[in-house]
Amino acid sequence: MGAAAILALAGGMALAVWDRAPRDASALFSLSLPDTSGQRQSLSQWRGKVVVVNFWATWCAPCREEMPEFVRAQREFGPRGLQFVGIAVDEPDKVVQFAEELGLNYPALIGGYGAIELSKTLGNQLSALPFTIVIDRTGTIARTQLGPFKTDKLRSTIDNLL
Amino acid sequence: MRTRGRGIILHVLVVTALTLMASASAQVNPLAPEKAFRFSARALDPHTVEARFSIADGYYLYRDKLHFAVEPAASGLTVPSLPNGKIKEDQFFGRVETYRGNLIVTLQLQATPPGQRVVVQAESQGCADLGICYPPNIQRVTVALPAAGSAPTPIDEAPKKQWFK
Repeated sequence: MGAAAILALAGGMALAVWDRAPRDASALFSLSLPDTSGQRQSLSQWRGKVVVVNFWATWCAPCREEMPEFVRAQREFGPRGLQFVGIAVDEPDKVVQFAEELGLNYPALIGGYGAIELSKTLGNQLSALPFTIVIDRTGTIARTQLGPFKTDKLRSTIDNLL
Repeated sequence: MRTRGRGIILHVLVVTALTLMASASAQVNPLAPEKAFRFSARALDPHTVEARFSIADGYYLYRDKLHFAVEPAASGLTVPSLPNGKIKEDQFFGRVETYRGNLIVTLQLQATPPGQRVVVQAESQGCADLGICYPPNIQRVTVALPAAGSAPTPIDEAPKKQWFK
């Protein structure tokens, strides 16, 4: 087997994984969900920014563990046009408590268990958390991530899109 | 030398390709929850059902998220206190207990006539060490209770996943 064929095969496999998720984030931008104060927030208000949508829950320890990194990234990259949006598969009181403890500096929207179904349509086949979607300024999904986002990968992905 | 040089390049490419394949498959590696937390149940006698979770390596269930129910509700289920789990200090929830490996819970059905079929329902919630958690999951198994004095029945596996309440 030639080197080119092997590379093509590896590339093809990576592509096969990638192709399962839709590339267009319109379904997300058409949503509106309540925030921690009960106000409905339309996701379309962040269209045109680099948007990182993170499905999480307080009952998901790996979700909570990566969120301080999201807070840092929001602080650092926010001025350049980055917007994190958390969608919690959870109850409002738990979300409020955790957001306060962490000092969350981006919106925590309350999705409830229905948000799992939403994440499934965006490529989260196992319905597991955390599940994170990076959307570029044109509204195209640039990357989806099941499980913790490695810090260097998160930062380079964001930096490349800004 | 030229051949050897090409061999090294090819070797590097193969290793790169294999690494890419490995990372591609790592994306699809986690088990579906009904495979990670396999639920089964069998009758031990006309009034006792043994419920079992076979938890895959690298996965764990939370003790306080585990709930059992039996239909018909008139079966008079009494759930014993669950076995002690491994204690884990959670920054947000404090002391939590988790189960790994096999978990066996014996359910007593006080008011079931012998020979009746019952549906044993288990709600569970767990996570994987690779850093993902699954939402609460409900699995159901139908168990035929034996007539008085007969031997335990074979294990019935949960047929399919069922999400949420």
